[in-house]
Amino acid sequence: MSRYWVLAEFAGPKALLTAARILRDEGLANVDLHSPHPIDGADEVLGLGASRVRWVGLVGGLVGAVTGYVTCWYTNAINFPIDVGGRPLNSAPAFIPVTFEAGVLFGAFALLFSMLAITGLPALYHPVFEAPGFERVSVDAYWLSFSIRSAEDRANEVAERVKAMGATRVSVVKDPRLEAMR
Amino acid sequence: MSGRDSTERSGAAIEALRGPPLVLGTPTPASLTRSLLAYVFGAPGRAWWTLFALACLGLGVFAWALYQTFIHGVGTWGVNVPVAWGFAIINFVWWIGIGHAGTLISAILFLFQQRWRTSINRFAEAMTLFAILQAAMFPLLHLGRPWLFYYLAPYPSTLRLWPQFRSALPWDFVAVSTYGLVSLIFWYLGLIPDLAAARDTAKPGFRQRLYALFALGWRHSARHWHHYKTAYLLLAGLATPLVLSVHSVVSFDFAITNLPGWHTTIFPPYFVAGAIFSGLAMVLLLMVPARAALGFEQVITARHIDNLNKLMLATGLMVAYGYVQEHFFAWYSGNVFEEAAYAAKRWGPYAPLFWGQIACNVAIPQLLWFERIRRSLLATWLIALVVVVGMWLERFTIVVVPLSHDFLPSSWGVYVPSPVDLGLLVGTLSLFAFLFLLFLKVIPPVPIHEVKEVLEEVSP
Repeated sequence: MSRYWVLAEFAGPKALLTAARILRDEGLANVDLHSPHPIDGADEVLGLGASRVRWVGLVGGLVGAVTGYVTCWYTNAINFPIDVGGRPLNSAPAFIPVTFEAGVLFGAFALLFSMLAITGLPALYHPVFEAPGFERVSVDAYWLSFSIRSAEDRANEVAERVKAMGATRVSVVKDPRLEAMR
Repeated sequence: MSGRDSTERSGAAIEALRGPPLVLGTPTPASLTRSLLAYVFGAPGRAWWTLFALACLGLGVFAWALYQTFIHGVGTWGVNVPVAWGFAIINFVWWIGIGHAGTLISAILFLFQQRWRTSINRFAEAMTLFAILQAAMFPLLHLGRPWLFYYLAPYPSTLRLWPQFRSALPWDFVAVSTYGLVSLIFWYLGLIPDLAAARDTAKPGFRQRLYALFALGWRHSARHWHHYKTAYLLLAGLATPLVLSVHSVVSFDFAITNLPGWHTTIFPPYFVAGAIFSGLAMVLLLMVPARAALGFEQVITARHIDNLNKLMLATGLMVAYGYVQEHFFAWYSGNVFEEAAYAAKRWGPYAPLFWGQIACNVAIPQLLWFERIRRSLLATWLIALVVVVGMWLERFTIVVVPLSHDFLPSSWGVYVPSPVDLGLLVGTLSLFAFLFLLFLKVIPPVPIHEVKEVLEEVSP
């Protein structure tokens, strides 16, 4: 038993979504689509809920804002207070710019890193790149991919079925990463 | 009137509302990818080398001016005792303002779903990044001992001192560095799919490996697009208030002092409007020639230029309103010092610069009311140039005039820039040009995947 990646190219976004829907209805959980630009309706077909990135972004922004304010307050009012003409040491209005900017900064970093963490990028190698013609996905090709753990014969059988759904080209790629781990 | 007639008529009305197409001709995704990457992959032409050589020459001047500043100190500048802020602060405020247009185009127009932004946002964002870089340099040089700039960061030092957060200088430091980093993240995130496209279409070699590295192994997966789109949308949401805050914070450097001519509440919105105005002018100044040189007429159409011109006209009117208001405030306040500061702007030793500013930023941009002017490339380019110069003059009159003319006549003085000041100005312009020319040759200057999305909507 090895892991095989089945890749199929379709003529356009509509054919791709139709095939993906059939495979999902059959209970195949890890179907993925590859397209030069985001396709309308792909999230729904793949059953993807709202992205978790937004919660991480929110928490990052709040943590940043609190960090910004606490830094101003601790440094200027607690650790090294300087009395300037009797003005309050904890001068909230003067601390707002730093609070706001730190919130935005931490929020932006949280968004970037959570997107990378959730998508598993950077991942310079992936078995899908082995399929001949897959590089056209950056240009104008629409591909579908999923992986199965089975014997090679079984993987080829599944690939034949996908081809029958209207794929213009089908490849089966053995995942070398599992082989290497053995 | 039959039903069919009215359907046809409303169809035509919708067509008219939609306006001319955003992508000319009927390119296929393949031909579009090829044409958008052709300039990046091609060998640089003679024009590119000429401009590059000029920029390198300017960098030589820059090196000389920096040497003078570092070795002999800011005494080599024209700054003196009443006018302690000279070219460094003028250039800082000018550049950071120019940067604002990129974020406006990429974030604010994205949130308003203005599809025409897609062809120009990468371009404008790159301009923003390079402008922020220039801007960030000047306050540091202005410190006098630039190598100690890290004192501005709140870190537990052996001096046991902290930055004073009730002063505007740490605000500036935080605002500008946040703006630079967030712009970089936003730009890079938008770039990932296009770097993947460059990776997949480049000839094998060092360059392709470099694209592959920075594309992070992007495989255009729908599961990735899903999180990518959310992250991009939210970043746009964060960048929008950020861009409004940055120039407001810059204006606080002036507004929270009590110098007549600076101490006014109109500064934050007035600075933001001026920032976007100058930034749009800089986008047009760079885009009009680059569009022809790069062969992007298909995706950057007359409609894009027309829209940018309309935005420039609108922000220019806001700036003009700001001018009227600040002079009105000075008169209406009845404060003799305020009145004197603004009279010095109008009739003092810098009056030619002030009236030049009014001509460049208020009078000449009114030509943009005419559609023929908005659609003429030459007129657009000239007006953009005039506005960029006019906004620099505005920064000059804001920074220098109130300082040269404060409360006591005995402490009035005049500021004249030194050769080192001029060298820094030439140098910063050259560094900007240098970075921008490299950008055009290395990074896909038009977001390919976004243009394809527009294409997909037009011809499903």
